[in-house]
Amino acid sequence: MKLNNRPSDRFDWTLAFILLLFLIVSTVAIASAQTTGQYNINFVPSQIQWYVVGAAIIAVMMYFDPEQYKKAAWIIYGGGVFLLFMLFILPEGMELVARRNNAKSWFHLPGLGSIQPAEFMKTFYIIGAARLITMHNENNLNRTPQTDLLLLAKIMGLLIVPLFFIMKQPDLGTALVFIAITAALILVSGITWKIIVPLYAGTAAFGAILIWMAVYMQDFLVKTFGFSAYQFARIYSWLDPYAYPSDEGRHLITSLNAIGSGMIGGKGFQGREVYVPEAHTDFIFAIIGEDWGFIGASLVISLYFVLIYHLTRTTLQLKDPFSTYVCTGIIAMITFHVFQNVGMTIQLLPITGIPLPLISYGGSSIMGNMLALGLVFSMKFHHRTYMFSADPEE
Amino acid sequence: MNRRRRSSKQETPKQKLRKNTTFRMNVLFFTIFLLFSSLVLRLGYLQIVKGEDYKRVIERTEEISVNTSVPRGRIYDRTGQILVGNEPKRAITYTKKQSTKTDEMLEVARGLSALIEKDPEDVTQRDKKDFWILLNKDEAYDRVSDKEKKAINSDETKSKTERQRELDSLVRDKITEADLEAMSPEEVEVLAIYREMTSGYNYSPQIIKSGDVTPEEYARVSERLHELPGVNTTTDWERVRNSELAILGQTTTPKEGLPGDDLQYYLARGYSRNDRVGKSFIEKQYESVLQGQKTIAKNITDKAGNVLETVPVQEGQPGKDLVLSIDSELQKKAEEVVSRHVLSIKNGRNSQMFDRIFFVMMDPNNGEILSMVGKQAIRNKETGKYEVYDRTFGTYQDAYEAGSTIKMATILAGYQHGGATVGQTMIDAPMHFRGTPPKRSLFNWYNSIPVNDITAITRSSNVYMWKIAIGIGGGSYVPNGPLSIDSQAIDRFRHSFASFGLGVETGIDLPDEAAGQHPSNPSSSNVLDFAIGQYDTYTTMQLAQYVSTIANGGYRVAPRVVKEIREPSPDGKKLGPIATELPAKYLNRVSNSDNQIERMKQGMYTVYYDRRGTAYSTFSDTEGYKAAGKTGTAERRYYEADRKDPWFGKPTVNVSHVGFAPYEDPEIAYAVLAPNVSSNTNSIPHPNNEIAREMTDFYFELKEQRIKSGEAGANIEGALKESEDGTVIREGEGE
Repeated sequence: MKLNNRPSDRFDWTLAFILLLFLIVSTVAIASAQTTGQYNINFVPSQIQWYVVGAAIIAVMMYFDPEQYKKAAWIIYGGGVFLLFMLFILPEGMELVARRNNAKSWFHLPGLGSIQPAEFMKTFYIIGAARLITMHNENNLNRTPQTDLLLLAKIMGLLIVPLFFIMKQPDLGTALVFIAITAALILVSGITWKIIVPLYAGTAAFGAILIWMAVYMQDFLVKTFGFSAYQFARIYSWLDPYAYPSDEGRHLITSLNAIGSGMIGGKGFQGREVYVPEAHTDFIFAIIGEDWGFIGASLVISLYFVLIYHLTRTTLQLKDPFSTYVCTGIIAMITFHVFQNVGMTIQLLPITGIPLPLISYGGSSIMGNMLALGLVFSMKFHHRTYMFSADPEE
Repeated sequence: MNRRRRSSKQETPKQKLRKNTTFRMNVLFFTIFLLFSSLVLRLGYLQIVKGEDYKRVIERTEEISVNTSVPRGRIYDRTGQILVGNEPKRAITYTKKQSTKTDEMLEVARGLSALIEKDPEDVTQRDKKDFWILLNKDEAYDRVSDKEKKAINSDETKSKTERQRELDSLVRDKITEADLEAMSPEEVEVLAIYREMTSGYNYSPQIIKSGDVTPEEYARVSERLHELPGVNTTTDWERVRNSELAILGQTTTPKEGLPGDDLQYYLARGYSRNDRVGKSFIEKQYESVLQGQKTIAKNITDKAGNVLETVPVQEGQPGKDLVLSIDSELQKKAEEVVSRHVLSIKNGRNSQMFDRIFFVMMDPNNGEILSMVGKQAIRNKETGKYEVYDRTFGTYQDAYEAGSTIKMATILAGYQHGGATVGQTMIDAPMHFRGTPPKRSLFNWYNSIPVNDITAITRSSNVYMWKIAIGIGGGSYVPNGPLSIDSQAIDRFRHSFASFGLGVETGIDLPDEAAGQHPSNPSSSNVLDFAIGQYDTYTTMQLAQYVSTIANGGYRVAPRVVKEIREPSPDGKKLGPIATELPAKYLNRVSNSDNQIERMKQGMYTVYYDRRGTAYSTFSDTEGYKAAGKTGTAERRYYEADRKDPWFGKPTVNVSHVGFAPYEDPEIAYAVLAPNVSSNTNSIPHPNNEIAREMTDFYFELKEQRIKSGEAGANIEGALKESEDGTVIREGEGE
């Protein structure tokens, strides 16, 4: 195999180009969303700023090689959990802690703005989990169902800590991202199908039954499991927003009206007619669907697919198991974000507040994703180093 | 061991894991592919398949109908006299926009309060509190302690709006009487105006002051319209009625708004909540005609939702006018006659159960109702005297046993089903059935008298009817034998009766018509009662339709109070051109031959002019016209009252009368129904016959008078004629 010696050859130009395309889509969409004058700020320059910050993060991330990340995995993971823990215990009255949309998810840093630790915790968790799986597989070369169960238990243990703090904020959307990342990692970690198939099928069936019961057996759920009736509103407003025009139901209806009326070709830049709240952040896809129609919306989805495809190809090239697991986690994270965010705007999934990666306006979201992609850049960049060590020794 | 053997295939665990990982990555990638495909499929469904629908949804929400207060249609009687009209009133309105802010409205209210006087009588304590909070927002919310605020905000089982509501009500509680006392009268006036402004709906002009706006106020506001965004000086239309006639119905006032029961019905048809709508009788039935068409306008908005301009898509139109079939003069007379009889009977003897009389006169040829009257005597609690109230709706909603007036229908049913034949003679003699007292005709208690189909009507033979009933029931009369009538007999009877309009809705163009009672599973004895009109109950309108069907030769025609719909009158005096002529509605032809119907007409003629006729004493001396009719007396028990009423269940008598005139070429058919006229069955007053006679006389007098004055044609209905230019002139038409 030919060695890539020059740094410029080892840099992942394709990924960089894809990110440039996302920057263009993001700024155009945000600019198109700013028609209502709801905010007095122009979000476009600050989004570009966040991208610049993101590029810096990638550069810093590339400075370290994957082996170093692997070594520092527990510190990174522990640091993330510490941040979540601080957010959890610090009293609400403090200047440092900000409550937005009824969730205690933000650190307010004077002069710098607000950051959402959970956005970074996703990547930290991926690094921790990748290290855990790598170590386990190295120590248990002879796989048995028992060792697989042990691995599963370890992963669950690693997941439960951040999940607890995030559920307490509460932030259901981010919690679901963690679960999606874990599901992908379990799949790729090599755990036998005999465990995976019943586990996944069981979870899916449980979820389906819960939704079914929320619709048809509400009283039973309230009496037996202590749910509150208002918790079902999310389900109802998703399944039939016209009959349950709560805040979420109305949000969904406006989103459907916006996207649906975009039809094939869309209404053009700033051609929107439907007022969709939070159009520049969580509901940016409604703008894309309305202004550029089916063609534009499908192209954006395709762009994500190209990104995922590139990441998958990269993963398969990387021989090092640690890198493979990290990439898998990142793929799962981005996929779930896209699927959940786009899905909620088109009534495929219930509404949860998570942004569309790389397009929605927001510093934490951009930085969090850049952090994750920085790892991929780093792995690609330092790949050569592992050519030999990753080769079979025997 | 196992593993060893596999590794002999030259695969280390690491390689195996690597291969496995690659496979699983592909599984993951395929799953992602499926997820993304579902997104694209769903998008395609929304944007391509359903796109047009969503586009339409958006367009619909953009178009709004603007309440322009078009005048409601007028109502005229058949001779062109105006019964209900509109009077223009000066009004000051305010139109709120979606984007209008509270501060802007407050400013406009202040400006207006300087220009007009507004009576603060409707302002409530609660309004004052809300207004106080509005003016002193910070102070008001500061009165709630942080602790209380936190307690409300931390309750996560409630939605944001619920929490806000809770906080607001807490703030309201903290406002003291003293705070409200401190409000100056000027501030209260501003509040009174502000209150009206906020009670309107977006883009729908809300009346701030109407009716008592002085010309000075109107002028002052008109001059300063540009300083008062949203305010306008305009004309409001008030409904004015020149007739006491109850069936004209009532409309809601803008304050009452749409009737709550039908709110969704009206909203779905583009009404605003403060619209005037018909809530009873003609105003309700013809709501869609009278209402008119509001201006539909489209708002052109900028991207932020601010209205730049409002472009009318469709101009408003005033409501169309109605011309009734009612003749005011005839109606007035009928009301007077019926009222007089109601009072005289109620103030006479044996009238404990009596309180009402109904009268209907219509054109048997086209169903146009010339007069319909229902009057009820109600005791005035203060004076102790009886006063007459209107109960016109009872002519088609109150049903009673009508007695012998329905005997023509019994004989005609007999012709149809084989209970009788034309000219058939039967012996009228008391009938004896096993286990029951003898049954007799009123005119014949002991003898055996031969009667045919005509004399059966003349003398009102019950026995003739019972024999028909037994015949229709497939039996035959055996003296002292058991009474047994086929259960199908009642169905055959009712089917025939319905073809005359008895026991079914007549199809009158007024809301909530009743069909009367038809008990199921009657006994054989009940069927005999049915045949003489003492079992099922009928409305006066049904009786009028029934006698019209006989008078016009067998066509059941739906009665109607509206003759035609006209375009809005140009000046409120002349009628506008005809918009829709409402043709007579023939519901069915009865299954009897012309000859059979002719026999019944002859029978009815003898009722009036044969010495033995039951109405001979009242009708034998008609001058200038010949009529025909039938009287009826039904013995029954009084069940309408409360059980505690001492007269509940006591025997009483209904009297009725049907007829038509002139005999040769009927122009009018009439029916009178007076329930419970006497508690003494041996002393029965006959307002039925007297009212019928008085009204037929009056009709022909009126006709004579109009011919003489050249006002009307030979037929009283020919009062209106269309001229070339569409306006109306009255035209005399000699005979």
